[in-house]
Amino acid sequence: MSVPLTLLIPIAILVVVLGVSGLLALTHRLTFRIAMRNVRRGGSRTILVLLGLLVGTTIICGSLVVGDTVNAINVYGTYLAYHGVDEAIYNQSVVTGGYSPIPYATYLTIAHAAQQVAGVSAVTPMILGTTTVFDKTTGLPQPGLNLVGSDVNSSGALGSFQTDSGATVTGPNPGSVILDDVAAADLNASVGDHVILVGQASVPLSVQAIVSDTGRGLFLFGADAFVDLSTAQAVENISGQVNFVSVTNTGSEQAGAANSMNVSARLNTTLAALGLAPILTVHDWLENNLTQASMAGSSLATLFLVLGLFSIVAGSMLIVGIFVMLAEERKGEMGMLRAIGLNRRELVYAYYFEGLAYSLGSALAGTALGIGVGFGLIYAFAKLFAAGSISANTILGSFSFTPSTLVISYVAGFLLTLVTVTVASARVSRLNIVRAIRSIPEPPPPLKVYTFLAYLGGALGVVGALLFATSYKGTTDISLPIIGGGLILLGAGLLGSRFARNRPVFTATSIGLLIWGGFEPLHAALLGTHHTGTIFVFFVEGILMVLGAVMLYSFNSDVIVRAVARLVEGRPQTVPVVRIGLSYPSRRPFRTAINLTIFGLVLFTIVGVATIGSSVQAGLDSEIVAQSGGYSFLAYSQNPIPDLPGAIANNSTLAKEISTVVPLDAGSLSATIAGYPGPYIDSAFSGPLGLPASETIAGTAKFNFTATTNGSSAAQVWAELAAQPNDVVVSNQYNPGGFNFGGGGPHPVTPIGSRFLLANPDTGARSNLTVVGILTESFVGGFFLNPATATKLGITLPTAFFLTVAPGVSATTAEQHTKAAFYTYGLVVIDFAQVLRTSIQNTEAIIGLLEVFVALGLGVGIAAMGIIALRAVVERRSEIGMLRACGFTQGMVLRSFLLEYSFVALLGILMGTVLGIVLDWDASQGAAGLLTFSIPVANLATVVLVAYVLTVFAILGPSLRAARLPPAEAIRYSE
Amino acid sequence: MGTELVVEGRDVWKTYGTGETAVTALHGVNVEIRRGEIVAIMGPSGCGKTTLLNCFSGLDDITKGQVTLEGVDIHAMDDRKRSAYRAKRTGFVFQSYNLLPILSAVENVEMPLLIAGVAPKEARERARKTLEDLGLGDRLNHRPSELSGGQQQRTSLARALVGRPAIVWADEPTGNLDDEGSRQVTGLLRQLNKEYDQTIVVVTHDAEVAAGCDRTLRMRDGHFVE
Repeated sequence: MSVPLTLLIPIAILVVVLGVSGLLALTHRLTFRIAMRNVRRGGSRTILVLLGLLVGTTIICGSLVVGDTVNAINVYGTYLAYHGVDEAIYNQSVVTGGYSPIPYATYLTIAHAAQQVAGVSAVTPMILGTTTVFDKTTGLPQPGLNLVGSDVNSSGALGSFQTDSGATVTGPNPGSVILDDVAAADLNASVGDHVILVGQASVPLSVQAIVSDTGRGLFLFGADAFVDLSTAQAVENISGQVNFVSVTNTGSEQAGAANSMNVSARLNTTLAALGLAPILTVHDWLENNLTQASMAGSSLATLFLVLGLFSIVAGSMLIVGIFVMLAEERKGEMGMLRAIGLNRRELVYAYYFEGLAYSLGSALAGTALGIGVGFGLIYAFAKLFAAGSISANTILGSFSFTPSTLVISYVAGFLLTLVTVTVASARVSRLNIVRAIRSIPEPPPPLKVYTFLAYLGGALGVVGALLFATSYKGTTDISLPIIGGGLILLGAGLLGSRFARNRPVFTATSIGLLIWGGFEPLHAALLGTHHTGTIFVFFVEGILMVLGAVMLYSFNSDVIVRAVARLVEGRPQTVPVVRIGLSYPSRRPFRTAINLTIFGLVLFTIVGVATIGSSVQAGLDSEIVAQSGGYSFLAYSQNPIPDLPGAIANNSTLAKEISTVVPLDAGSLSATIAGYPGPYIDSAFSGPLGLPASETIAGTAKFNFTATTNGSSAAQVWAELAAQPNDVVVSNQYNPGGFNFGGGGPHPVTPIGSRFLLANPDTGARSNLTVVGILTESFVGGFFLNPATATKLGITLPTAFFLTVAPGVSATTAEQHTKAAFYTYGLVVIDFAQVLRTSIQNTEAIIGLLEVFVALGLGVGIAAMGIIALRAVVERRSEIGMLRACGFTQGMVLRSFLLEYSFVALLGILMGTVLGIVLDWDASQGAAGLLTFSIPVANLATVVLVAYVLTVFAILGPSLRAARLPPAEAIRYSE
Repeated sequence: MGTELVVEGRDVWKTYGTGETAVTALHGVNVEIRRGEIVAIMGPSGCGKTTLLNCFSGLDDITKGQVTLEGVDIHAMDDRKRSAYRAKRTGFVFQSYNLLPILSAVENVEMPLLIAGVAPKEARERARKTLEDLGLGDRLNHRPSELSGGQQQRTSLARALVGRPAIVWADEPTGNLDDEGSRQVTGLLRQLNKEYDQTIVVVTHDAEVAAGCDRTLRMRDGHFVE
């Protein structure tokens, strides 16, 4: 059995790190013993440290477990939906999407030959298509159902039908149809109903059974109408022919799918030998769909992981904070060790070994906790998304995690902790022996440190400039030039600190980072609108802004604290409490910066996700207008409807209900676009020639454009498209500045003025076209062509329509009447507003889940605050004692502690909240109508309140402990 | 030196711990100290000097007996009252200075005044003046880490004296200083004692410091021996 690389590589890394560490331990036994002694003697502190360290691993593991489970759900669904069809042999038209029929005799030849191929278990003739079913008993029509024609004896290969009560159904019998749950619900159908199946011909049937939407009943996911082969031939009007040959492999479903590539290669050879290869192709149906299903799971895991990065960074900051505090606590001890001959490297090793022990333990605990977090998220997911065939129990039953997930989480968490610990150790080991022993604070850094920083800044600047220069013009992810710009700013700051005072230099740097990270118009002006974007941009901008804000505070803390002190100093009695409470955050900038960064990052993520959710909701109305172009429905038919406007005008009911009808010739074409590997198949639309302006898209559409040639108006673009055969308008999916939230894989982009080749693979016709407009809408995805070009490329069938409901008429009523009137054409009617509302509900549910997930990071902030406060009580004992000697009451000590940590927490919360809102504003600027900037005040108030109250809970214990210290004992205390 | 009793201890006992681990640090101590008096308390390490100072100043509780400061039973007060008394009527000087590292010299010195409710502006002015009197006028805004040991102890002294307390408790004030620093601090204590008629109780090992005091009380095993 081969071990996957995702398992092998992390294990190899772990083995190497542990091996090297083992060698170091053998060669530095004394330091190893010192480290192990520190771990053993840590007691409750060791537990505290482990808790602090496991956060990163938990987030990584939780994200991956979600991905695994979603993957498992998708894979489970895919096995059901493509049940029994490992490979498929067919010829599908790119333009119409239909399967080309082949004579039954050809099928028999194929079947005979395929049966001889190794790995093939069964070959089944099928007819797949789309049909409209009209239930005469209920009077309801339903277009767009999957027509699945197969023989009654094919259940051996394709599986059997089952009713909701669990009974097995044999069929479909001639003269009858088996409907799945979804189709039956759409038609309100019952067993025995008389129905008409409408395709190329109309065929009356009766409903034999209504089967559960699982197993064979889930075929192709959607609403299914299963009929026997001869009935399907009648509906499709292809007597004596089939259009789809299903091949089932030997072995289990999993084994069959795994062997699919080999079998399909052999089948293709067989087809070639039969002289059928150019016409028919073998497709790895199940395997391909399984791959797509895995990609969907991976996309969701990526989304969680990228948002979790904030918590991971916050967790790393916590690790740094913990180790710096541990080092301060042991400063005297370290000084003594140095005094008796331990060199600095050995001191680093001592910390490294200690960190190694903590990392091994915390990564293990973090992985276990991550599984719990993953389950919690999946549980919430199940409650929110359970629908149709995927029940809550199915989702929960699919909860799973792969060995790779566990190993990757463990190793990533272990390395994250170990690297952070090692870096922190190197920093803390740079101590002056005498100062360490006598607990004298370190002096300001000497000039050589600034010289080093200047070199570092120069290097960062060069790397940033290179990154910026190579990425700012292209269509790459916009994160790259933004990172480049951020590095240039940071480099300039470090360089400047060598020659000027820190405060002005780093204040300027931090303001630069804030603007660069958070001011979208600057990105648009400097970087153009050609770039693509992913969820990673959210992370990059967030890090830059939080870094800028923390730097701004750190180098101006005295000014900020003085201003705050003036605000909160009221009665004379509060003055000393405020003075003490606010002096620590002002004069311990490193520690404060760590806390601020943690709180800032976590709140930024929570607020960012929450405000984007709010903006999605607020943008619904404008989104409906933007996506619908002012129309009510997008309708498309299975068969062309030559004169839909005339037909509606002549229908007494619809003439009153539908005010505008715009027909479009529609089909699919293959595009060859620079920067995208291989051809890209997408829909193409064009208004037929010779229509009055009131019936053309150019005359009636209210679609907006994201970009046009030379900033032309919408009317100018449509007019130009009508006149110029070489022009093309594309939907927003092709917008280079479009935002891909991590799903769906890469999409080609076509900036304004770019040219690409569009071809009809069925006819070989091709055209080189220039992009003159990019629509803001992405609902009707694809290319909008000049009518002459469309005709040349074979897009001539009027099968798509925009309809507008007359004022005062119910959209639901108009939809039902339209479908009923044209069901014989298989007219599917999509209500823009309804679909978008449903879609937004799903988006909101996902955003809700993300909010919960990122809120886990609050645990980091609260833990950090609690740990640092606990440490502060120990560290400041003699200071507290002195204050008590000077007359501080217990209450004053308590208040000064609460004030200090409240100040830091509230400042971090404020910072994160403001920056999260800025990010939402940014996103709404670049989202082309998808988002309408909106601040969910009540929601944010709750977040802020909960974050603060939890923080107070975390610091209350240490604060009370500080207040209750007996003064005499406290004064005597020394570490 | 006046005749008014400022510090009076009657049969003061202090025991740490309970049961078999109990350690009695003060064995029925009796003492009287008058206003303006400067008293040295000497004795070997572990004899109870610091415990006596803590118990008599109200920093620590006593197990038995009574301590009155300016006629008030300090241990009968609750935390709030006792803290208020310390803020207004006492000052402390410790061997390790115990300055707050996050505050500048002047901020450290003004802290007792702020705690006592003096307006910030007045507190700053008085702190500045006191530091100048002690020769630290050019070190007002320096943090403790930027001061020498002697300067830190003088700052600590300024903090103890800035509120013109009735009693100054000094625990080994010269313990961390060299001879010169030690002489400076002792001289300052003596000078301020004369100027403001403050009662000063100094716990010390340093015979030279004790020699500069009005009287010396010697302790052994938790009680005075002479």
